[in-house]
Amino acid sequence: MKPWESGSPWRVVAVPVAVALGAVGAIAARRAQIPMALGALAGATAALLGVFALPSLSTRRVVVVLLGLGGLGALRHASFVASDTSLLLVCWALATLVALLLVDRTGAEEVQPLPRGTPLAGRTGEIARLAVATTVMVAVAVVALGPTLTDHLGRHVWPGLDPSTGDQVNAPSSLMATNSLDMTQQPRLSDRVVFAVDAPRASFWRGEVFDVWNGHAWSRSGPDPAALAHDGDTSQLFPATDDIGATEGQTMRQTFHFESGYSNIVFAAPSPVSVETDREVDERYDGTLSVGDAFGSGAAYTVTSRSVLATAATLRAADAQPDPSSVLERFAQPPQTTPRVRALARSVTASAPTTYDKILALEAWLGAHVRYSITAPVAPKGVDVVDDFLFRSRLGWCEQVASSLVVMARSVGIPARLATGFVPGSRDPLTGQFIVRERDAHAWTEIYFPGVGWQQFDPTASVPLAGDATSGGSWLQAARHHAIEFGLLALALVVAVIGAPDALGWLRRRRARRRAGWAAHGLARLERAGRRAGRARAPAETPREYAAALAAHLDDARLRAVGDALDADGFSRTGLSASARAAADAVLSSL
Amino acid sequence: MSGPGELTLTSIVLFTLGAYGIAAGAASGEQSVVAVGVFAFALFVLGIIWPIVMLSGVTVEAWAPADATVGEHHDVHVRLHGRVARVELRLLDPVGPWWVTASPADGVITRVAARRGVFSTIRIELRTSAPLGVFVRVRTLRVALRTELSVAPRPVATEAFSSANAPRLHELPLDGSLSAAPNTGPGDSVRAVRPYLPGDSARLVHWPTSARRGTLVVREHEPPVVVGVALVVDLDGTADEAELIASRAAGLGRATLAAGGAVWCCTCEAGRPISARVVDQRELGRRLARAGAGPVGTPPPGWPVVAVHA
Repeated sequence: MKPWESGSPWRVVAVPVAVALGAVGAIAARRAQIPMALGALAGATAALLGVFALPSLSTRRVVVVLLGLGGLGALRHASFVASDTSLLLVCWALATLVALLLVDRTGAEEVQPLPRGTPLAGRTGEIARLAVATTVMVAVAVVALGPTLTDHLGRHVWPGLDPSTGDQVNAPSSLMATNSLDMTQQPRLSDRVVFAVDAPRASFWRGEVFDVWNGHAWSRSGPDPAALAHDGDTSQLFPATDDIGATEGQTMRQTFHFESGYSNIVFAAPSPVSVETDREVDERYDGTLSVGDAFGSGAAYTVTSRSVLATAATLRAADAQPDPSSVLERFAQPPQTTPRVRALARSVTASAPTTYDKILALEAWLGAHVRYSITAPVAPKGVDVVDDFLFRSRLGWCEQVASSLVVMARSVGIPARLATGFVPGSRDPLTGQFIVRERDAHAWTEIYFPGVGWQQFDPTASVPLAGDATSGGSWLQAARHHAIEFGLLALALVVAVIGAPDALGWLRRRRARRRAGWAAHGLARLERAGRRAGRARAPAETPREYAAALAAHLDDARLRAVGDALDADGFSRTGLSASARAAADAVLSSL
Repeated sequence: MSGPGELTLTSIVLFTLGAYGIAAGAASGEQSVVAVGVFAFALFVLGIIWPIVMLSGVTVEAWAPADATVGEHHDVHVRLHGRVARVELRLLDPVGPWWVTASPADGVITRVAARRGVFSTIRIELRTSAPLGVFVRVRTLRVALRTELSVAPRPVATEAFSSANAPRLHELPLDGSLSAAPNTGPGDSVRAVRPYLPGDSARLVHWPTSARRGTLVVREHEPPVVVGVALVVDLDGTADEAELIASRAAGLGRATLAAGGAVWCCTCEAGRPISARVVDQRELGRRLARAGAGPVGTPPPGWPVVAVHA
């Protein structure tokens, strides 16, 4: 039977196929930067046309081919989108599963039923049970094998596409290495995905560090970047002596997968100690990295970083040690700013006993007196940007806020510098990857603590310290961590789903036995009473007929109701209520 | 006896998706793509294992009537044991259509008997691709029938054996069991005379009576007499020739029995010559169902013999 024929079971199949291809269309639309609804609509329409408008082909074959092509498309686009398409992929997977179940079931329904055989179970119930059972079993496989396969097969270094001139022109400033950060230009912030990061925990993905402030732009001191020697794809860094985290901290490995078409900055969680890439890497004195041949779309590199996981207590205790003179000379010199900025910094931190408390006090003041706005007007030319921000506009974005904290910290003798890069981004719930977009570009402050090293502070938002970042995790990782519970739950679900019909049947039979038990017992009592009265039950008499005959024989009309009760209890679906049984029992007892 | 089954287009699609998903996911680092690849592979594996496991627990009972005739329908009762949500089955020899049912189940399949013979087993093919349609698991079972099924040859339409010279049934030197056989008269002897009608053969004119009456009269004969016949069924020859011989013997025997005659059947059964009388069509069918090539039995003396051979 063809799908367009009235009552065709193939019509239902078209629904999950449309959902599956709609999800594929949405993924493709996301990659093409067009509205996802449009892509979903196009995919669903293509599916419906495929199912309904190809009369010369087998519908089963058409559906399977559509699902296969859709799946290949979904995987191909999802491979490059590197963004939060996981839910769409889950949607595609579930719809595909249901479609396959329905296709097989519908195909079986086209076969003649066995004469006098057992009819197939209801389609909806069967599909629901199979879908749940299959999903649970497949989920177990995905949880068990997915991360393992990724770990073993995943490419941590990949060249990707070569950036074109257009890619370079269209790249946001946050992806282009610079020696000067102009504070009088507004950044471009969009939802476009820049890169995805495989990392065990969240971190600032630092790109560059600036330590020289001239009142309207940041630049950096120190020597020119030096090319790193590499052993194969791996290059070891030579951290600065003041970068304590790079020598003593805990290790974290991150793999960056670029979606953006151009970037010559090697982003990494502070502080990187080695990098794996096919590019020549340059290291600056502050530990930040860049490449001469920029990364293009699809490129991947892996960085190993180390950082000291500091707490408030360790940071407060750090004041017991003196700052190294090299740090003080380079990062704690009074910045170029106005006297009232210095005065403000001194007044805000006057009552703070430690460096850490001074930074908290400055952050608190900023939080209370300035407002964040990406559309804030830029400072007029020739005016100190920090002064203008703190005393006139009090409106700015992260660069103004972080710059203000650096300038005020230095004003009170605290070693500080400006760092730029990206915040961790949103975490994909399925895979655990951090999805980083253009709008996640950020600037924050790094403060030096003796014995601890550089620590990140974000005065713009309540972002926790890097060391306090919770590890979190994806669904897959969470399921793996709770493997026993997950396995037991899966087993219980499968048993429940598969055994539900049996359990239901057992309950029904039990209930039926109970009902039959009362009816049979009641009939036996009625027959005994009849025999005593000289009117035995004829073999062909139903309980109702026998009760009516006995009522006439004994001249007791109540027995008709007893007969009705016996019939109702024995043959009705719901059985007899307890009160009705009690009434019938009372009549039988009185005989 | 069981066959392995076959992979479907769905299996190719899922395998491709699985391989591509894992490869692309590993290359791009997209764990979600790897997860989808594993999902497709898991469906592929599950789709193969599930029907194999389900069908392995199914057993079948079957029974059929004791007699059937080639080319005619007869019922085969099947009973499936084991719990399966969906299974398709069909009879082989000859290959019949597929029927679908849930198991356990009792069912009846009507089929046309294709071959003459005696069958103690029947071949039934089971298959299922549930739930995903990835792999069609096929099992061919040889099921013992509760009672043997004798398939008689399809009778060729023919007239009953008759002969004016053949001895009458009551004259046949049998063992006395034919005493109830009717006396049907003296064969084609003259029963009466009637006036001549245009078109009557001149050879039928009864001249003495015509002379006596002065007008032409012709003889009327008794109808041909059906008598007993001994069928010597020699099935030596090719398979097609043997079936044709059996069909001719069945046709002749049935027609003779139907006309009230007696049939003596001389065959070779299980390699031994058998010579015995058959009393009805069912017995004739069973004898011919068992008959094979080889030395046939000797017909009883005095019986008109019809040798049916290639």
